[in-house]
Amino acid sequence: MKKSTNKAPAPQKKQSFGVYMKRYWQLYALLALPLLYLFIFKYVPMVYIQIAFKKYSIVQSVWEMPWAANNGFEFFIKAFNNKDFINALRNTLVLNLLDLVVGFPAPIIFALILNELVFKKFKRVVQTIAYMPHFLSWVIIYGLALQIFAPSTGFLNMILTNLGFESVPFLNEPAHWVGTYIFLGIWQSFGWNSIVYLAAIAGINSELYEAASVDGAGRFKKMWHITLPGIKPTIVVLLVMNLGNILGSSFDRPFALQNNLVMNAAEVLSTFVYKNGIKGLQFSLTTAVGFFQSIVCVIFLLLANWISRRLGERGIW
Amino acid sequence: MKKKLLSVLLAGCMVISLAACGSNDSGSTTQDSGQTQTTDTKTDESADAAKDTTDTAPTEDSAAADPTNGEVVDGKFVDTRKITVEVYDRGNDDGSDPTNNKYTKYIQDKMMELHNVEVEFIAVPRWTEVEQINNLLAAGDAPDICLTYDYPTVQTYANMGGVLDLSSYVDDYRDLLPNLWDWLGETNIYWDKDPVEGTLWAIEGKRAVTNRINTFVRKDWLDKLGLKEPTTRQEFYDMLVAFRDNADTLLGADADKMIPYSVSFDVGWRAALLIESFIDPDISDYEYYINGFDDRALTQPGTKEAIRLLNQWYNEGLLWDDFALYSSGDSTEDDMIKAGYVGCFMHNWDYPYRDGENSIQTNLERMVGPDAKFVVVDCFEDIKGGHNKFITSSAGDRKIFFPTTNDEPLASMMYLDFISSPEVIEYLQIGDEGVTHNKLEDGAVEIIAATGDDIQNSGFNLDYTITCNGLHLVDEELTLKSMAHSYSGIDPALVETAHKVCNTDTRPAKNVNVGAIAAEEGQGPTLASKRDVIYDTAVAAPVENFDKVWDDGIADYLSSGGQAIIDERTEKWKATFGDATSLPE
Repeated sequence: MKKSTNKAPAPQKKQSFGVYMKRYWQLYALLALPLLYLFIFKYVPMVYIQIAFKKYSIVQSVWEMPWAANNGFEFFIKAFNNKDFINALRNTLVLNLLDLVVGFPAPIIFALILNELVFKKFKRVVQTIAYMPHFLSWVIIYGLALQIFAPSTGFLNMILTNLGFESVPFLNEPAHWVGTYIFLGIWQSFGWNSIVYLAAIAGINSELYEAASVDGAGRFKKMWHITLPGIKPTIVVLLVMNLGNILGSSFDRPFALQNNLVMNAAEVLSTFVYKNGIKGLQFSLTTAVGFFQSIVCVIFLLLANWISRRLGERGIW
Repeated sequence: MKKKLLSVLLAGCMVISLAACGSNDSGSTTQDSGQTQTTDTKTDESADAAKDTTDTAPTEDSAAADPTNGEVVDGKFVDTRKITVEVYDRGNDDGSDPTNNKYTKYIQDKMMELHNVEVEFIAVPRWTEVEQINNLLAAGDAPDICLTYDYPTVQTYANMGGVLDLSSYVDDYRDLLPNLWDWLGETNIYWDKDPVEGTLWAIEGKRAVTNRINTFVRKDWLDKLGLKEPTTRQEFYDMLVAFRDNADTLLGADADKMIPYSVSFDVGWRAALLIESFIDPDISDYEYYINGFDDRALTQPGTKEAIRLLNQWYNEGLLWDDFALYSSGDSTEDDMIKAGYVGCFMHNWDYPYRDGENSIQTNLERMVGPDAKFVVVDCFEDIKGGHNKFITSSAGDRKIFFPTTNDEPLASMMYLDFISSPEVIEYLQIGDEGVTHNKLEDGAVEIIAATGDDIQNSGFNLDYTITCNGLHLVDEELTLKSMAHSYSGIDPALVETAHKVCNTDTRPAKNVNVGAIAAEEGQGPTLASKRDVIYDTAVAAPVENFDKVWDDGIADYLSSGGQAIIDERTEKWKATFGDATSLPE
């Protein structure tokens, strides 16, 4: 957001670059280190994006590698002819969309409910418990999930079978697995993600609530007409950022949770890249896939931002 | 204004970064490719790169008998050399640091003393070795001496020019490498030599023991139920049913934990004997070879029917329900076997007896009782009525290769020679008397479980004796006697049976060397994970869906590169051997 730049007094009228720098050079000096970091670790490695268009060789520098066939697009064509890629693309979209539809409102609802709690201590305890899963690695979460959801040794299924029900294939049947995947994702992140909303709620002017009370508004009316509109800009910013990530995928979550029986639904782009690139040595192909993924993400981000601005919201820039 | 300035700044940064990268990179390229640039016009760059490196230790010009040009005197380098060697890290619970322990010190001291070569070990996790070595190779940090079980990985890197051609070293320095030649012989050294180009990217380590897989059954359960050891597939099945139906008798309160037959996600390995019994024991070399890319027999004729049987068993509740949920290296299944919930399983021929105090057998006795034991049975008859097992040849174990970043190929070769000498192998395998082994009356060696720094992280220190897998003492007769005694805390009779059974009705693998198969390049790991998915989903499918799941899976496997491999193998076989369907003797 642009707010931060307003802290320094705005220059009265047009000044020359030299005068400007003389006054603010300390600020830019502070910026230099992060910029250097970005430059070295984010921009320099981008040179190797080229291998998406080249025939990768381990002994040649990236400038020497020969161009791939079809004007360098050989590997993009190969990727789109690869069933596994198409499958991974589909799974990525489906899982991310479900995550967005089911997972995005969860922290908002949680923040609203938490905000209504009167006892401060209870509120804090609940908050802390909800944050905790965020700090667990996905490998550990899968370990927990196995203990709870495994078909024969899982705690939940043992209860079900002892009660005379059929055991539910939470982890070993694709449709159920998707449900488990989404559920675990929400469980892991809703508490942490609610922090932003709680902060936004805290920023709402309390006079508004008082005025509403005077006018006879109940809890739900206040929530609907004051709290939600108050955090709307935050919601929109986060939504735009989430939409930007619609084709992106984290690696550890799907990788830790997938297993051979559900691979059809569980293989996503990041694990596809890992299996074919790092394990299968097809570096050019998987760089092409990663590049494609990034481009789609950027397009989505720009599009979502544009739409939100058209709708009168602020967007992210 | 400010915004504009900021964007100008950022844009400037990007432009500079791109430019800087350009110059940076071209700077480093001149370094990297120094070897190749002079010979750019030649056809095979990788061969040139390899040749150029050999030139640093001149071979052609020195007409004198000494191929090392005076660098080595009496087997010792004049100047101290330094090499790095890959060692597997198995992450054992009580293990020692694989790169720094009693045995690495022994190797380091001896190498320094004998050859004036300093040795440093680099640990690579055993269960992700291919991924890890890929990373190291790609980063240029690979050890000078690399190992892998996966030849296609070596081939892929060789095609990129990342691997040294060893052919000149093994031949030119033959006199300096007596132990290596004695132990491996031409079979293993030349196993991977390209028949057309003559290049040699890797040397095959040797299996002292070619035993492969056995079927282990809980003898005490059989006794309790009054059953005989199964000798046919039908009896095996009846036994599984009996285990399932008598869970209350066998496990009491833990009856719901009963697993009659346990497989892991790696069905192709953990049901290998069952699968192979469905393959014609007289299958021609040709047919076995063209379908042989997958080392779990996925595309061999007969495999489908074997998996169909497993699928029925799964649906009858005879297999472990959760088999596909645990990935490789996970100890859940072993723990259940140790706890005594498992009636039978198939695995490496000595699997439950391995690992001394931590072995499955020892744990089982501890947790269930002294009567509890796994015995080996031989019960999968083939169509000819025998019990055919496809065993490996002495080659096909670890492949040893040198990446092009290896600046000390000769010192590395001398390391291989050192590690192949019989005395070194013997010491590493059995350690010190009284500490890791006892001498029995007949001279046989009995291994005792060691702890602390004396502990062997892998059976017989397999991870250090990289050219040798399996017990190999200086005295061959003693080796056989000792083998049964080499499992500390295990009844030698159990091991003898295991050894005998897996050597009954065997068909050893043959070397079909028709040159590199281009279609296999980079396909190994991808197709292997596809194979596991096919096996797992087919076994776990409802019976009525089995055909569809299997056929769809195979169709996908074939269209993802499997068919191309079969076709190229067929073509290259025809080009080399014509219409013959068996290999020349």
